[in-house]
Amino acid sequence: MAIEIRLPKLGLTMEEGTVDEWLLEDGAVVTAGMPLLRLATDKIDVDVEAESDGILHRAVGDGATLEPGAILGWLLAEGEATPAGTAPAAPAPAAAQEDVAIITTVRGDDDIEVASADGRVFISPNARRVAADLGVDLSTVRGSGPGGRIISEDVEEAAAAAPQHTGPAKVASPLARRDAREAGIDPSTISTSSGYVSRGDVKAAAAATPRETAAAAVSSTVVVAPGSVKQETASIVPMKGMRGTIAARMQQSLTEMAQLTHGFEVRMDAVVALRAEMKEQYIALGVPVPSLNDFVVRAAALALRQHPILNATIQDKEIHLLSRIHMGLAVAVPGGLMVPVIPDADRLSLPDLAAATRDVAERCRNGSIGLDELEGGTFAVTSLGTYGVDMFTPVINPGNVGILGVGRLRDSGTWEGDDWVRTQVLTLSLTFDHRAVDGAPAAEYLQTIAELLARPLVLVS
Amino acid sequence: MSTRELTYVKAFNEGMHQIMAEDPDVFLIGEDVAGYGGVFHMFDGLLDTYGQKRVKDTPIAEQAIIGLGVGAAARGLRPVCDLMFMDFIGVAMDQIFNQAAKMKYMFGGAVSVPLTITTAGGAGMSAAAQHSQSLEAWLAHIPGLKVALPATPYDAKGLIVGAIRDDNPTIVVLQKKMLGVKGPVPEELYAIPFGEAHVAREGTDTTIVAIARMVPEALKAAEMLASDGISVEVIDPRTVQPLDTDTIVASVKKTNRALIVHEAVEFGGIGAEISSQIQEEAFDYLDAPVARLAAPFAPVPYAPILENAYVPDAARIEQAVRRLLERK
Amino acid sequence: MTAPTDTEVLPATREVVLDLHRRMVRIRRFEESSGKLVETGEMPGFLHLYVGQEAVAAGMGSVLTDDDQITSTHRGHGHAIAKGAELRPMFAELYGKTTGYCKGRGGSMHIVDMNRGMLGANAIVGGGIPIAIGAAFASQYRDDGTVAVSFFGDGATNIGAFHESVNMAAVWDLPVIFVVENNGYAEFTPQEKHMKLTDIAERAASYGIPGVIVDGMDALAMRQVSLEAVERAKRGEGPTLIEAKTYRFFDHQGIKGMRIPYRDPAEVEAWKSRDAIRLIETIGVERGLVTAEDFAEIWAEVEAEINDGIEFARNSPDPDPADILDDVYTV
Repeated sequence: MAIEIRLPKLGLTMEEGTVDEWLLEDGAVVTAGMPLLRLATDKIDVDVEAESDGILHRAVGDGATLEPGAILGWLLAEGEATPAGTAPAAPAPAAAQEDVAIITTVRGDDDIEVASADGRVFISPNARRVAADLGVDLSTVRGSGPGGRIISEDVEEAAAAAPQHTGPAKVASPLARRDAREAGIDPSTISTSSGYVSRGDVKAAAAATPRETAAAAVSSTVVVAPGSVKQETASIVPMKGMRGTIAARMQQSLTEMAQLTHGFEVRMDAVVALRAEMKEQYIALGVPVPSLNDFVVRAAALALRQHPILNATIQDKEIHLLSRIHMGLAVAVPGGLMVPVIPDADRLSLPDLAAATRDVAERCRNGSIGLDELEGGTFAVTSLGTYGVDMFTPVINPGNVGILGVGRLRDSGTWEGDDWVRTQVLTLSLTFDHRAVDGAPAAEYLQTIAELLARPLVLVS
Repeated sequence: MSTRELTYVKAFNEGMHQIMAEDPDVFLIGEDVAGYGGVFHMFDGLLDTYGQKRVKDTPIAEQAIIGLGVGAAARGLRPVCDLMFMDFIGVAMDQIFNQAAKMKYMFGGAVSVPLTITTAGGAGMSAAAQHSQSLEAWLAHIPGLKVALPATPYDAKGLIVGAIRDDNPTIVVLQKKMLGVKGPVPEELYAIPFGEAHVAREGTDTTIVAIARMVPEALKAAEMLASDGISVEVIDPRTVQPLDTDTIVASVKKTNRALIVHEAVEFGGIGAEISSQIQEEAFDYLDAPVARLAAPFAPVPYAPILENAYVPDAARIEQAVRRLLERK
Repeated sequence: MTAPTDTEVLPATREVVLDLHRRMVRIRRFEESSGKLVETGEMPGFLHLYVGQEAVAAGMGSVLTDDDQITSTHRGHGHAIAKGAELRPMFAELYGKTTGYCKGRGGSMHIVDMNRGMLGANAIVGGGIPIAIGAAFASQYRDDGTVAVSFFGDGATNIGAFHESVNMAAVWDLPVIFVVENNGYAEFTPQEKHMKLTDIAERAASYGIPGVIVDGMDALAMRQVSLEAVERAKRGEGPTLIEAKTYRFFDHQGIKGMRIPYRDPAEVEAWKSRDAIRLIETIGVERGLVTAEDFAEIWAEVEAEINDGIEFARNSPDPDPADILDDVYTV
C-alpha cells in the first residue's frame, strides 16, 4: 500500500517547513534510506529520507511551505495509484511524525578542506587570471566558492566595486592627504620608498607636477542629493588599500552575519585596585604595567575557554569550534584600523600579554607589522574607552563569531546592603553572530568575564 | 530532400542501407545480422536488398569475424563487422587492438584498414555485467582506432556513414537504451566526420561534456537548471577518438567550469582524459576543479534498483552542476 | 587425410628446381647474415630464424602469384622472401631504416610487401590466421581467382583464432590454405606436451576440410601439395590444411641463445642431415636436371645480393623522430 511521506516535525517550536528541493524525480525508484527531498525550516535544513522502498509520487512541488504532518508525497508499489481524494496538506497528529521519515543529514558541504593554516589564499586559476587582468588586489577579495575559494565572479564583483583601482595601496598621513588634496594630487600616485606617504613626499610630488595636470586630476563630480538639492563633491577619498579592505570586510561582515550586541556593565574596582598595587612593583622591575584593557583582554581570552561557542568560525553551514584562542586587537592607525593577532592569548601571562599588545600596536603604527600577524584571529577585542565611548556596536571580523568592545572607565555607584558606595565600572559591548550564538550564552560569556574581573588575582596568576 | 523524425535504430539502419547502395565494397558480417536483421534490428532489410554475398551470418566466432574484416579491409573492401554487444569485444580484442589498429603503423603505412565494427553498449536494461558495459576508454586508448558513440538519431546515421567511409578501423557504439528514441533525420545520405564535437546546448555558467546516452540526460538536467537561471552548455564529443579538445576547451574558457559525465566507470574513464586535457589547455580559466560524474568502480549490476543507482541520470547531473557552481 | 606425396611422381623440371633452390638459399643466407649482425650488435632487436624450414615457404611460394596473399608469423623472413620480397628493404627494415619495408616501424616480425601479396608478418601467435580468411573473403567477394595462404606453427593450432578461422573458412568455402609448419616445438615446449595428436592434419576433419601431411624438408613435395590445395581453392571447393613436418635449426630466437637444452642434440643433427637445400641439390644433380655449378652460381649470386642489401641498409637514412606520428591513421 502507499506509504505517505509527511513533513516531519523537527522541533517543538517548528510551525512550518519548506520543500527546498526534491532530490529525486517523480516516478523515481526509491530504496529505503535514499534522500527524497531537502527540507528547509527557519532553523536548519535537513534531508528527508525514504522510510521504505517504492516509486516516488510527489504531491507538492519545490518551494511548497507546509505544516508538520502535511503529506508531501507517497511511495507507491509498482502500478499502484495514489490514494484517492487525499489532500496534500492534511495535517497529521504531531506524534505520527517520527515513523514517517528518518532525519540524518544536516546539510553542509563536507568535502572541501576549509583551512588556510599557512595563510595561503585559495583562489581558482581563472580568478587569478581575471584578477591580474583587472588589477584587483586579491587581499581585498572575499571568496564565495567552495571552501571559501575566490572565484572569478568574486574578483569581477570586487573590480566593479572599486573600478578606479590601479596600483598598489599607499598609506598617507591625514595631513599629507590634506596637502595632497590641496595640491590636486592623488596620494596613491606618489612614489615613496617606504609605502607611507609623508607631507614631504606630497610637497616633492607637487613641485614635480605641472599645475594644470594636477588640477585636472581632481574632477568634481556633480551628484544629485535627495531633495534635488545640487551637491558638489569637495574631494574624493578612494576606497582602496586599507580603506578598501576595511570597507569590504565590514560590509562583508554586516551582510553575511546576523549580528547583535549586548551591553554589559562590569565593575572594575578590584582591577583598578590591583593595578595600583602592581604599578610600583612593575615599574621597579622595568616591566610594562598592564593597562586596564590588558586585564579585559586577559579575562576575555580566559573566558573563551569556558565559552568555546564564541571562539568559532562558520564554514558552509557548520560551526567549527576552534581549539586555540588567537585574540585580535583593534588598533587605530592613521587612515584606518588594523587588527593584529596575539596567538594563544589565553596562554600568555598578564605581563606577557601586556608586552605583546604593546608590541603589535606599536608595529601597526610604524608599519612594521607583518601580514601574517594580521591573520588567524578567532575573537577580537576593541576599545574605544580612551575616546570616551561607553557602549557601542563593534563589527565582527569576518570569520569570527564575536567581538568584545571595551568602553570608558567611569565612576558609578551601587547599593551594598544599605550603603550607597562609589564604584568604578565600564561597559562591555559584545557583538555576536546570532547564527552561531544565542543571546543567553553570549550573556553568560559576559558574566564570566565580569567574574574574572571581580577577582583579578586569577588574571595575574 | 526533407528531414523527418526517425528512431535511433531506424536512422542507423537507413545509413547502412544508403551506404551499401552507394559503395559495392561495403559488406556486413556478424552473428544473426542477415536472416534476423541483428538482435536490435539494426540491420533489418539488408539481406533482402543486398543479398547473401554482402550480408552474411557468421558462426559465433568473434575473433574470426573481426579478423576476416581486417584481412578484407587490408585488401581494399569496406567490411562492417558486428559484435552485437560491446562486452563481446573482449573475445575479439587481439584482432582489434593488435591487428586492425596497428597494421597501418607497423607496416610503415603500406596498409590501410577501412574496417567498421558496430556494437551496442550501455546499461539500463537489466542486462547485467556482461551485456551492459561502456568500454570506450579501452578503445580510445589504442593508437590507430577511432571510436564513435552516437547520442541522437541524426548522429546514429551520420556516424555509421562517416565510419564506413573512413579509411581507418572504426568502432561505432550504439546505445541499447536509445534505440527507440526519435529525432530529426535528413532523408539523404550524409556523413558526420570523426573528431567534431556537437554543442548540443549553448550556455554560459558551466560546461557539461556528456558521452553517449548521458547527452540527453545532460540536456534534461540543463533544462531543469535553466529554470533557476543556471545556463549550461552541453557538449557531445560524438567521437572519443579522435577527441575534439578544441571545442571542449573553448567552451570551458567561456564557462570556467566543467563537468564530465559518462556511464562507464569513473576510474580511468574517458572523463579522466578530458579532464586532464581541460586543465592542461584551460587551467587559467577554471573557477572550480573539473568534476566527473560516472559509474562507481563496479561491474554493471542486474537489479533495476542497483542499475539505476549505478548509471548517472539527469537528477544527479543537476546536483553535480549545482555543487560545481556553489557559492557562499 | 591424404598420404604423404611421393616425390618420385613430381614433374621436377630444371626451372622448378632452380627456382626452389634460389628461394631457399636467399632465405638461408639472409637469415644467417642477419643473425650474425644482431649478435655483433650492429642490428637492433631480436630474430626468430626460419633456417631449416625453408622448403615449406619455398614450395608454397613457388606456386603463388603476386596477387595471391599470404599472412605470416613472428618467424616470417622465409615467407616474405619465398613470396618474392627484395633483400634491400628487408635488410633496411631490420636495420630500422626509412628505406625498410615498414620505414623502420615494424622490424623483423612485421615484414610486409603489398606489391607481392605479403600481407604482413604477425608477432601474435595465430594472429594472421583470421586475417588470411579475410583476404580469401576478398578473393571470393571479387571473384578474382586469387587465394590466400596462412602460415603458422604447431603451437598456433591450439589457439581459438585457429579454430574460429578454419571453421568459418570451411563453412564459407573460402579460397584459403592453412599451412601449419610443425617444427615440433611451441617455443620451447615439445609437441607431445602441448597436444595429444601426432599429426595436426587430423584437426582438419573436425572442420570438414582435407588435411594433408607433407615432408617439410622436401621443397618439391611441398610444392606439389601446395599446388593441389591452391587449385582446389580456386575451384571454389574451400580450404585445405597442410601439415608440413619440419624443423628449425636454430633456437626459438637468435642463432645461439639456447639457455635451456630443451632439444636432444642428436635430434637436431638428425634433422640437419635432411637439410632441405642439400636435398634439392642432390635430387637436382642425381636426376641430371641441374649441375653443381648451376647451384654454386646461385649461391654466389645470392651472396652478392646479401652484401648489396646490407650495404644498402647501412647507407640508408635513419627515421626522423619528428615523423613518429605518421601513419598512425590514414588521413
